[in-house]
Amino acid sequence: MHREKFIERVLLLLALSSVGSLALITIFIFLEGFPLILSVGLKDFILSSHWAPTKGHFGILAMIISSVLVTLGAMIIGVPLGLSCAIVLAEFSPKRLKMVLKPTLELLAGIPSVVYGFLGVIWLVPLIRNYLGGPGLSLLAGSIILGIMILPTVISISIDALTAVPDPYRDGSLALGATRWQTVSRVVLPAARSGIITAIILGMGRAIGETMAVIMVAGNALQIPTSILDPVRTLTSNIALELGYAAGRHREALFATGIVLFIIIMILNLSATLITRRR
Amino acid sequence: MTIFPAASDKGPPAPAPDIIVLRRLNLFYGTFQALQDIDVTFPRQAITALIGPSGCGKSTLLRTLNRMNDLIEGVRIEGEVLIDGQDIFGPDVVLTDLRKKVGMVFQRPNPFPLSIYDNVVYGPRLHGQPGKAELQEILERSLTAVEMWGEVKDRLKTSALSLTEEQQQRLCIARVLAVEPEILLMDEPCSALDPLATLRIEELMQELKRNYTIIIVTHNMQQAARASDLSGFMYLGELIEIGSTGDIFTRPKDSRTEDYITGKYG
Repeated sequence: MHREKFIERVLLLLALSSVGSLALITIFIFLEGFPLILSVGLKDFILSSHWAPTKGHFGILAMIISSVLVTLGAMIIGVPLGLSCAIVLAEFSPKRLKMVLKPTLELLAGIPSVVYGFLGVIWLVPLIRNYLGGPGLSLLAGSIILGIMILPTVISISIDALTAVPDPYRDGSLALGATRWQTVSRVVLPAARSGIITAIILGMGRAIGETMAVIMVAGNALQIPTSILDPVRTLTSNIALELGYAAGRHREALFATGIVLFIIIMILNLSATLITRRR
Repeated sequence: MTIFPAASDKGPPAPAPDIIVLRRLNLFYGTFQALQDIDVTFPRQAITALIGPSGCGKSTLLRTLNRMNDLIEGVRIEGEVLIDGQDIFGPDVVLTDLRKKVGMVFQRPNPFPLSIYDNVVYGPRLHGQPGKAELQEILERSLTAVEMWGEVKDRLKTSALSLTEEQQQRLCIARVLAVEPEILLMDEPCSALDPLATLRIEELMQELKRNYTIIIVTHNMQQAARASDLSGFMYLGELIEIGSTGDIFTRPKDSRTEDYITGKYG
């Protein structure tokens, strides 16, 4: 009895420690970054694209736009691919094939992002440079690599959402003389909608937060891109690239960039949770 | 009440009295034989009840008639099933047309998580591109046929899942009627309903049999006795006997039938 209570306490403490470290990280980046946002002003921080931290200019607009565009590009590539893959695996494949392929696809998530970046640099970037022009290191390259990297997230959660649709819906539709595709497109997909939206949002969170692969293939030029072949620097790339030598206000500005990312990802995750719960 | 044109009007000039003919039907799930040498005919515009203990093959038999068993892996079917004289396993059969002609109502109401409107017009939309006016007419006709039009005509856009279980089951029947089938297969359609709702669905079946051939699987012997014209008793994959419901319940020929209806097992 006594011992039981003790073990319970220890487990509770361990469980709380993970929440606690999240809280500490949050407090830390806010303490480090918030003063700069206050002194520069929120408007000049996120609505100016003049980033010259050693000269006192801290506008991150170009990087926000780049992050958003790279993420958008990744969604345009990754969502149709991932969703169709999930539909094939969940609705049109024999069980055994699904049992082999789903874990394989999830393995994609375990490949270190530097490997994706490496493949991008030696294979994708020259391809873009030779066939489409520009430096190759570009918004397009970043989007393609990220589009592939979010596949496991999108596929895996979409498959779960499709599998969760009760079979009686499918039977009802087929028994009315629907084909399998009609059944999927008219009943199963609408029924799985909230789960699929969650999959897309979580994929988005992963894309916007990815750093290493993007640094390697996106070119990292500080500018608002005017073409998909322009090199871009995302919020995450900027932090990773500059933190090594940043000091003082420059360092604070990078933490402030972290706050912006933190808030974006929190909003994405929160909306995913809310959508899932509403089901 | 508005009724559908009699199914036989659309058929050949002089339709045979039996709409469904089964010849030496054997069905296997892997190595397990679920149906054995079923030889039977089902007459038009009558209600035939299939009774028997759980696992006797009555649902399997029902699901053979619209080929829903095709969905199960490892199923093997031998013998012939003729509907309106056509072998439903023949090479020129279009599966979706067969299922349109042979509608099915399931054990638990399974309306789609869509609006009442979208549920009813689901079938017609699958099989063509009906216009708005046509859909409205189908909607009203189908919902009237299941005596729901008055209840739901002002909330057609609300989710079908907000209806009571009985209303949901009626909606599922309306959804099947909307594609104008000739045969209605009902797989224990009242097992999720309370006794009063069950009675009302049975009354509905009496209305429907004027235009449709109904085959119902039921666990409930009182239901078979009340609601059907013919009853067939199945046991361990065999159709032991089939005859008029009055005969089966009062003068069964086979001792197994008698034991079952007198409650010795099942």
